[in-house]
Amino acid sequence: MVTFNPDSLQIDAELADLETIRQYIERRAALFQLDRSTTYDIQLAVTELVTNSLVHGYPQSHGWIEVQMERQSEEIFVWVRDRAPYFDPTQRPAPDLSIPLHKRFPGGMGIYLTRQIVLKMAHRSLPEGGNETTLVFPG
Amino acid sequence: MDINIETVQGNTSVTILHPHGRIDGSNYQVLIDQGNRLYQAGTRHLVIDLADVSFLSSAGLVALHKLVLIMSGQKVEEQQDGWHALGAIEHDAEAGPQGFVKLLNPQPKVANTLQMAGMDAFFETFTDTAAAVASF
Repeated sequence: MVTFNPDSLQIDAELADLETIRQYIERRAALFQLDRSTTYDIQLAVTELVTNSLVHGYPQSHGWIEVQMERQSEEIFVWVRDRAPYFDPTQRPAPDLSIPLHKRFPGGMGIYLTRQIVLKMAHRSLPEGGNETTLVFPG
Repeated sequence: MDINIETVQGNTSVTILHPHGRIDGSNYQVLIDQGNRLYQAGTRHLVIDLADVSFLSSAGLVALHKLVLIMSGQKVEEQQDGWHALGAIEHDAEAGPQGFVKLLNPQPKVANTLQMAGMDAFFETFTDTAAAVASF
């Protein structure tokens, strides 16, 4: 089930819904008159976080996701919320890019990409359970 | 994601994959499965034309890596360890790009993702199809 309201997208999501989430970002980006490059960066970061929630946070890679995107002053804030077990992406160690590629472990690459894109990333546990990750982009 | 396939003859037989659309966690396995089918049919040299790939997440990066594994003859069951399996290829960052899979015409944001992940050193990238084919 997909619920649209003016502010957020709430969706009982599976990986096939990543495109729906990117379309929500596209609509919000158009509203905020963001350029293509910034819109892409937001879509990439949110895709990585939502994929991580679905694959590692929910059985059968399927569960509730909320994405909310707002402009505040000169910055774009995106909140990604789930009801998955505690996971703080800001505490993931960054991969060591000096290590030859074939010796690196793939886990964490999505979060690493996200960190490269965002101005700021923060996490908190939701009072009702689940996670809220805040991403801040240049607006 | 649709994938068109063509085979051309250069110094050796080269298969060119033309995926279209967005590659993410929902569909990256399609690319890997296609690579497995091609390997079973005899393909050993692959060019991936990224011109029509408008979005590539880290799952897409994993797919590109897996295609290298497949083309280098790694058994499917040995591929579960992700990057670790690439250790079977005698390659490291100092040795330069591997010689099994080449990339063609990535869009700027896709190229940027490859660069951010440090994978640009692992794949030779071309803007000309003939040059990519001739590189094998």
